[in-house]
Amino acid sequence: MGELSDANAVAEETNPVCGDRLRLMLRVSSGRIEAARFLAYGCAPTIACGSVLAEMIEGMNVEDAARITRQEIAGALDGLPSRKQHAAALAVETLRAALHNLNEAAG
Amino acid sequence: MTAARRVYLDNSATTPVDPRVLSAMLPFLTEKFGNASSVHFFGQEARAAVDRARREIASLISAKPNEIVLLSGGTEANNLAVRGLCESAEAHGRHIITTEIERPSTRGICEAMEKRGWEITRLPVYDDGIVRVEDVRNAIRTDTVLISVMLANNEIGTIQPVEEIGALVRDERESGNSHLWLHTDAVQAAGRIPVNVEALSCDLLSLSAHKIYAPKGVGALYIRRGVRILPQTVGGHQERERRAGTESVASEVAFGEAARLARLEMQERIEHTRKLRDRFESGVVERIGDIVFNGERDKRLPHLSNISFRFIEGEGLLINLDLQGVAVSTGSACSSGSLEPSPVIRALGRNDELARGSIRFSFGKDNTDEDVDYVLEVLPRAVENLRRLSPLYQKAMAERACAIEHVNVV
Repeated sequence: MGELSDANAVAEETNPVCGDRLRLMLRVSSGRIEAARFLAYGCAPTIACGSVLAEMIEGMNVEDAARITRQEIAGALDGLPSRKQHAAALAVETLRAALHNLNEAAG
Repeated sequence: MTAARRVYLDNSATTPVDPRVLSAMLPFLTEKFGNASSVHFFGQEARAAVDRARREIASLISAKPNEIVLLSGGTEANNLAVRGLCESAEAHGRHIITTEIERPSTRGICEAMEKRGWEITRLPVYDDGIVRVEDVRNAIRTDTVLISVMLANNEIGTIQPVEEIGALVRDERESGNSHLWLHTDAVQAAGRIPVNVEALSCDLLSLSAHKIYAPKGVGALYIRRGVRILPQTVGGHQERERRAGTESVASEVAFGEAARLARLEMQERIEHTRKLRDRFESGVVERIGDIVFNGERDKRLPHLSNISFRFIEGEGLLINLDLQGVAVSTGSACSSGSLEPSPVIRALGRNDELARGSIRFSFGKDNTDEDVDYVLEVLPRAVENLRRLSPLYQKAMAERACAIEHVNVV
């Protein structure tokens, strides 16, 4: 958790329904995610999804990271109750947005 | 994970059964098990116990025993009060005045009446969480039959001007409008502050046992002598035909004993919880910045404190505190299962962020100074940890740093 000062792929997404917010900061070099940090505002599942996602993707290739599903994130937490699935969805959405914003030249 | 200590600060949700209450009720589950409607010895023994309980409950609110209808709890009391009165008064009009901060059982029954064609006026509360008597006066129409305003709010503890509204209803009656009645939900107030149905001039008043150290599943509706309601549960002749069903004797005995203890120990409990609450609040102010107290602080129940912690979400804080043994509740939407944060905090004019970050701390007669010390130790840390994680907090800090820099440059 926390900020990543030399991040070159950053995104902050909000769940429009409940207002939960996730900010993901990645440092990507040669197609590999070297470091991942997150900030979260929301219910416990949102914080937990941010945390488990940052752990999962550190060291991963960008292409592999882009294929992570919300089921995998929920699975890494031993499942989420059905009305909290949106937390994993927010995590996937934020990750994809961050990868989309990737600017490797800046890193 | 086992917490070092368990501190229960959710006494507005429910309270533990007082051991004295438990021992009063236990015989009525075993050897004194009779049906209060039976003619034989067993029945009469139960009947006498229910009558004693009814006297104690009446005495807590300065009512007469035959004005007390025993039932399953605060929700049933509110439902029966609103629907029962409205169905009986329908010939005189179909308009109800209520507030934006009622509990779900009053809010829900008003919505149900609305679906059946009744008109509902929901009065606002202002940033202090208190309804204005003037607004009530202005909302009264010739077809208004019921005003339902809670005595004290369950989330922020603000005490509503029910006595003044009662006087207003009295004036209306004196000037010829005899078809207007006043209901108040006193579930949070009774046993915590003095409640007197004569002083309030209310016609209907809801009570719940489990907020005053008795078991769940029992409550009462005060119905002023002469006020007619249409029963919603029909069958036997129990409760003077106002609420059918075999009496839950043991629970009612418990309610009676709890009401007696609440009446006798009222002053002591008020002083004890107020002292703890006030010390807690000054401790929080000293240790944590960016907080907002919800509800007029001078007109609150003595045991309750509702605070919004900026930049963080209430459910996260609740779970963090729970892991450390501290039980509280929140107005956050996440924990309630709804998508909207607390309508009560929103009614104060607070934005979503403040509504979502609101936490209710409610003290009880069994809390101690050590409990306050422990919470003051873990709460600032929990808030700090969640804020460090919060993008809203990071953003606000960055903006503040900018502002300071800007001032320095100028």
